[in-house]
Amino acid sequence: MKPDRSKHWILISILILVAGAAWVWVSKASPGSTTGGGIPAPHEGFLAPDFSLQTSTGETLTLSALRGQPLIVNLWASWCAPCRAEMPAFERVFNQYKDQGFLILAVNVTSQDDLSNAAAFAEEFGLTFPILFDTQGEVSHLYQSSALPTSYFIDKEGIIQEVVVGGPMSEALLRIRVEELLNTE
Amino acid sequence: MFPILQLGPLAIQVPGLILLLGIWVGLTLTERYAPRRGIAVNTLYNLVFLGLAAGIIGARLSYIIRYPSIFIDNPASIISLNPGLLDSWGGSAMAFIAVIIYGQKKNLAIWPTLDTLTPFLAVMAVALGLSHTASGSAFGSETNLPWAIELWGTQRHPTQIYETLVALIVLFIVWPKREIWFTFNPGIYFSFFIAISAAFRLFLEAFRADSVLILGVFRSAQFIAWIALALSLWAIARLQAREKPSSAASS
Repeated sequence: MKPDRSKHWILISILILVAGAAWVWVSKASPGSTTGGGIPAPHEGFLAPDFSLQTSTGETLTLSALRGQPLIVNLWASWCAPCRAEMPAFERVFNQYKDQGFLILAVNVTSQDDLSNAAAFAEEFGLTFPILFDTQGEVSHLYQSSALPTSYFIDKEGIIQEVVVGGPMSEALLRIRVEELLNTE
Repeated sequence: MFPILQLGPLAIQVPGLILLLGIWVGLTLTERYAPRRGIAVNTLYNLVFLGLAAGIIGARLSYIIRYPSIFIDNPASIISLNPGLLDSWGGSAMAFIAVIIYGQKKNLAIWPTLDTLTPFLAVMAVALGLSHTASGSAFGSETNLPWAIELWGTQRHPTQIYETLVALIVLFIVWPKREIWFTFNPGIYFSFFIAISAAFRLFLEAFRADSVLILGVFRSAQFIAWIALALSLWAIARLQAREKPSSAASS
């Protein structure tokens, strides 16, 4: 580069960098503008949309009432092969971490399933965590579920930390994510 | 947003599929111009696939090292297909080391190699924008502009569309067929690509709602983009000042 052109280039570069720095300053984030904040949406970083469903024991569980506990909301159906494959790992992981406050809400998408098949499925695998029945498909709609299984890892604050679409999830992945949820302040 | 393509019992992750297509298109475009920069097509493919393979191994190793007891209890998980058990930082580090070692073994000069890979990177930037569009990630801040999109509970800047359009503009600018890109000193083509990509990222990050913040207000991606912009502008000045390789070769 000739000396004159070199000087021009340096000048242009400085101008670009000063403009860039000014833009960084001008486009500072205002408080609460860069996260999902309090908006409920079925995506990482957002507040998990609230729902109330009846469990297999007749009790009604409300998600927001469980704030303070890290949990997994798992959408499943009895006909879904990956759901079947990953459910034993869910049960083992639940038993391993339940004493630390960890919970699994297994939401059967009953609107796409059969209640008796779902109950038989839960019995076959000896599931001890709450099984909820989404008979009207409200939760599946609220969580914009496009495939089964889908799992939402929700921290103590009720914020979705990760969404895993499809399966089966390995036990190692489940344990790692649960430990991360338990260690999140 | 279109995260899943359901084909019978198969649920295909569209963002991942787009990235795979990006790799294929990027490599196809790159291989056509690699020989002009002195890189054999085979070497190029070996470099990219070695990087990808090392990246996947490193990404899994990173988890195994951090959680050894979990993998001892579940050894089958070491080869699990779950993408959630791949750590991007560990993968990037391993891929970088593998590519550097391979490059040294093959005596690949760094700047011509980076110039060769530039079209691949430009195509991957488009693929990344499209994959964000499919997944709804990298979402924008709230706005009531006429072109706002309804996403995650509110009207937002369509930052995924901005990102894709900008990547297409960058790809158009650095289109490898242009003769002008072969007239510069090695490294300038790559540095120019980094400079304009960084400048656009610095600008567009302002419209994102998922920025990681520094000191509660500054967007970390803008800092990284600003540093990349400064380094690439400096590199262009330094590389342009060098003697042309053709004259060096004849002397």
